[in-house]
Amino acid sequence: MRDELAKTVERLRDRLREVRESRGTGDRVTETDGGQEVGADEERAVGTDRRVVERSAFRRLLDHDAVQSAPFWLPPFLLMGFFVYAAIGWNFAISLTDYQGFGEPDYSVLDLDNYGAMLSDPAMWAATRNTFALLVGFTLVCLVVGLVLAILLDREVRFGRTLRTIYLLPMSLSFIVTAQFWMWMYNFNFGIVNQLLGVVGLGPYSWLGNPDLVLGSVVFALIWQFSGYTMVVYLAALRAIPDDQYEAARVDGASTLRMYWRVIVPQLKPAMVSASVVLVLFALKAFDFLYAIWGYRPRRGADILATKMVREAFNKQEWAYASAIAILLFALSLAVIAPYLYQQHRQGNL
Amino acid sequence: MTDGGNRESIDRRTFTKCAALLGSGGAAALTGYAEQDQQWSNTMELMHGWTGGDGAEAVAALEEAFQNEYPEMDTDFRAIGGTGNVNLDQAVAQRLRAGDPPSVFAGWPGPNLVQYEGVLGDIEQDVWNEAGLVEPHADEVVEACRFNDGFSAVPIGSHRMNDLFYNVSVLDEAGVDPESIDSFDAWLDALDAVASETDAVPYANSLATWVVLQFWAVNMLGSQGFDAYMNFIDGEGDEAAVRAAFENVQTVLSEYLNEDAAEIDFTEANQRIMSGDAAFIHQGNWVAGAYVNEDLTFGEDWGRIQFPGTEDMYGFHLDSFIYPGNQLDNPSPEESKAFLRFAGSETAHVAFNQYKGSIPTREVPTDEFSPYLTETIEDFNSVDQRPPTIAHGLAVTQDVQSDLEDALSDTFLDPYDVDAATRRFMEIV
Repeated sequence: MRDELAKTVERLRDRLREVRESRGTGDRVTETDGGQEVGADEERAVGTDRRVVERSAFRRLLDHDAVQSAPFWLPPFLLMGFFVYAAIGWNFAISLTDYQGFGEPDYSVLDLDNYGAMLSDPAMWAATRNTFALLVGFTLVCLVVGLVLAILLDREVRFGRTLRTIYLLPMSLSFIVTAQFWMWMYNFNFGIVNQLLGVVGLGPYSWLGNPDLVLGSVVFALIWQFSGYTMVVYLAALRAIPDDQYEAARVDGASTLRMYWRVIVPQLKPAMVSASVVLVLFALKAFDFLYAIWGYRPRRGADILATKMVREAFNKQEWAYASAIAILLFALSLAVIAPYLYQQHRQGNL
Repeated sequence: MTDGGNRESIDRRTFTKCAALLGSGGAAALTGYAEQDQQWSNTMELMHGWTGGDGAEAVAALEEAFQNEYPEMDTDFRAIGGTGNVNLDQAVAQRLRAGDPPSVFAGWPGPNLVQYEGVLGDIEQDVWNEAGLVEPHADEVVEACRFNDGFSAVPIGSHRMNDLFYNVSVLDEAGVDPESIDSFDAWLDALDAVASETDAVPYANSLATWVVLQFWAVNMLGSQGFDAYMNFIDGEGDEAAVRAAFENVQTVLSEYLNEDAAEIDFTEANQRIMSGDAAFIHQGNWVAGAYVNEDLTFGEDWGRIQFPGTEDMYGFHLDSFIYPGNQLDNPSPEESKAFLRFAGSETAHVAFNQYKGSIPTREVPTDEFSPYLTETIEDFNSVDQRPPTIAHGLAVTQDVQSDLEDALSDTFLDPYDVDAATRRFMEIV
């Protein structure tokens, strides 16, 4: 027993020594060609190092930061590439076909017919116009309302925290819920909006039925939901402005209005830019809200590109045409976000 | 030991009981098996849209009747909510596209089937011929279920599309005799009388596009006749006829309609008929189910006439069960076909339709049906013409119907632009 144990310990010791030795020269060993001997002497090792520098294109590539950090960025890059960009690319490919119904898309004939059809489709123009009106109206009013709320709350009013929570709360609700709320509030006969207007002798108006009013009604509801978000973004920026600047403006004799207009608001520009990007993207996604009220076919005047796209796809099974609309929506989103990204890039934030 | 012995004897008795139970269960199973003479191995999954009220009751009655006949088969009756089959159609489309079809799904037959080109199976031999369904069904019904030189659907019931429902006491108050309404102008006089003599809204409805489309169709039938309508859906419409129908629609909607029609759905409009706040509503006769549910009496509380000008017609709507197959494999061909053979039978039609408020499309004894439905069944069998509904897949394909609804939404739903709507209708069909 004892003899065997001693033998085992001896074997292990030998093995350890071997490992240590091979480690000492290991790096060079892997660098050399396959023909090099393991455990080469010092001179030969130096010689191989020189040769490594000479034929080092591959080696330099391996040393490159991008390659060294590949384990960190490559998996998400592949996932994003496949599930986002490849999907967009595939969508674009479908938009070039005539795919409809339940068959398989035929990729042998590719053309831009669907984009041509979009140009001559009057409903398409109406949807694009509505999308822009919603986008611009919603974003601008949200920015203004949010700014006013933020400035008021920043002045340390009583119950400021409570009010902040109350204003922000609607944003935490889903579109489906708020759509139902507003359907009740806009109800022609019993809705609170018409009841209140009735007190001053106006109405009743068909807020969600009248094609001239409907987009305004939707935009108003969305503003209610998202101005709390702009408020929070502004508020964070306002809190970052040192009190000195308020005091300095006061000492210089600026009125409150002038102080905000000249000193404070200009410093909110970055907050405004990032808030508007988020708002515009929300507006492009207003689909949920409209779908919750009307389903596939919103009231005329409230049909936007997103609802039109879904109607073409899931109601009429016109996959190719719907894909073309999707590409247009994608281009619109890019047009919104590209200037922002470019600006960030120039400022060195990206 | 004595205790132990007791326990053992109880055990033995329990055992005997269990054995008896098992034995009888097995015997029952065996008899069931013998009756069917077939082993069912797959679950029959049926997708339908009847989630609430009369529809849910009807489909429950159908399921029960089916399980009575086929106790051995596993079934999964899956309800997908939403009016007008919108959500159902979408859910079915997703399943079909994913290559995972249900065994059977509910839907409109006729040109509506065209959208499923390539994914519907042929059941002519295994269902229609084997169950002998052609003979007892009306010609229009059989035609509607044909698809690609075979059959892909089985009818389950039909709603009537050319009823004009009214509240009896409102018409009494207005001094209108419904039986005297025999033309569109006579109806306008009646609407005027309601407007001037009562507080009720003369005509209640929703301005949902499909509601306006079916109202246009019934006006086309009433004022321009069966041939003009059939020519239109065949693509040879006469512009003057289309325009005249639109003018009638415009007159009624712009002068007699409830103000909030754009916001409400038809059930809410129908509530006003029941509560006496409105006089007339034109709808498919699914609204009559609500009258029955509210315990209102036919002839006393509510009544109906044929839409003026369509007295000899039955506005033809059809619900059916559709069989997926062909490029897709039906998950349970044998079970699906057994169900479809059953769905076309007298038992199924009676079980389903007496609750649904629709009528069987084959000849059945009418004693299970309400007086109103009995009258409808008699009309169905005796009328000269059965024009297919344009708003429910029987007259035009799904994409044409959707385009027509788009056209109404874009041009006609307030303001009522007759010229533009006529132009678009003529272009589309």
